[in-house]
Amino acid sequence: MRISDTLIEDRPEQTFFEDPALDRAFGVVMALATEVYVQRNRMRALERQLEVAGVIENGDLDREPSDEERLAEAEDRDAFVEGLMINLLGKQQAKGAS
Amino acid sequence: MDDRSFVAAQDFLLASKTFWTKRLYPEIRQTYEDAAEKAASKPQDPADVAALLDGDTLYRYFSWLERHLQRFKYAGRYGLVPYHDERRAELSASLRNTSAELAPDLEMPNYYQRVDIHQHPGGVWSDELDGYVYERGARSTTPLMGAAHADLHHRFTELVASRGEPENILDMGCGFGKSTHPFCRKFPAAQVEAIDLSGPCVSLGAHNAGEAPNVRFRQMNAYDTDYDDNSFDLVTSTMVIHELPPTEMKQFFAEAARVLAPGGRMAHLDFYAIDGPFARFIHYGHGRRNNEPFMEPLAEMDMQASLAELGFTNIEVIPFQEAEGLSLTSHDAWRFPWTVIYAEKAVD
Repeated sequence: MRISDTLIEDRPEQTFFEDPALDRAFGVVMALATEVYVQRNRMRALERQLEVAGVIENGDLDREPSDEERLAEAEDRDAFVEGLMINLLGKQQAKGAS
Repeated sequence: MDDRSFVAAQDFLLASKTFWTKRLYPEIRQTYEDAAEKAASKPQDPADVAALLDGDTLYRYFSWLERHLQRFKYAGRYGLVPYHDERRAELSASLRNTSAELAPDLEMPNYYQRVDIHQHPGGVWSDELDGYVYERGARSTTPLMGAAHADLHHRFTELVASRGEPENILDMGCGFGKSTHPFCRKFPAAQVEAIDLSGPCVSLGAHNAGEAPNVRFRQMNAYDTDYDDNSFDLVTSTMVIHELPPTEMKQFFAEAARVLAPGGRMAHLDFYAIDGPFARFIHYGHGRRNNEPFMEPLAEMDMQASLAELGFTNIEVIPFQEAEGLSLTSHDAWRFPWTVIYAEKAVD
């Protein structure tokens, strides 16, 4: 499923700021913050394991990726963007008071 | 979605909610107290509190976070719903051959369909995996308690046990059995009937009960059961009453009175005893923001009069300490107004 499957067309989301633009923008911020933490958690776990195994040397992860590697990441990148941008629609995902 | 990413995201959301609980809430409370001190008259009700906090920037963020951290928890990219959906085949198979007694033709009440409680998309009843989603979500309902959340149910069971040992127990609105299993274990000689509107929830409750000999999970409406009059010596519920509209709430208590034997006991763990207009304002706001619109009618109900009218006696409203070491009166952190509503059916 995609998270947009849960959007309800006739239920505008609750708003808490004078300008609802801020409500939506802060949603983007928090979605991004979640993603950043997920990545940080994964990267730290990976680096710990690689270090223990002696697989990488300093600088291996810093080099520019190939075009092939970037293409392979496209689907994951699209899902990442949806998680951020869906906040802009201002719709409930679970039926409740507006 | 891999398991590590899901857990990391949910941990992040819970840590954010904990910050909200322990850092933002006391700030809001202080803002309110400062404003109340300067006000021309002492705030009497939630509307007075709302007027004092109207436009406060931190309160706006407090409200936003309460609403949307829950939305992310259930429906965000790393939400409970997409996570379980990706594991549908395996989880669905685990619920086949359930020993739960399901009622596929049971009509879901309008109020149950109209609002998705807890911001759970589709509610806790419309998808076969909803029991699993609810179970996982319930692990982080109360940030203050952390890993001690299960302790809440044991403490409630102990309170009930301290006043006698029941033989026939009805757990109304049992969900996935989190409230039921402690009763089964505490009273192994008792027969426990666990009922809930949600088929997916009672299926999971039965799955989790394994071969437990003294419990039966059934899909049934708690305020309209098929049990005979005077069938039970204990009727209980946990976090159910506040999900009911006022009319159904009255029917719920009336049904409890009907199925209880004279002298039988009723013990419900819910949210009722609320101290002061600020706590009431925060609690009603929580109800609105978390898709639980009947928090307010329950809190405003005249419990003593309503239960006495139904033939209950020895009616008690008991503020409930949900975990060891928590203070019922401290304002250091946000907490639910946990309350045990206790009564006995009068002996004619």
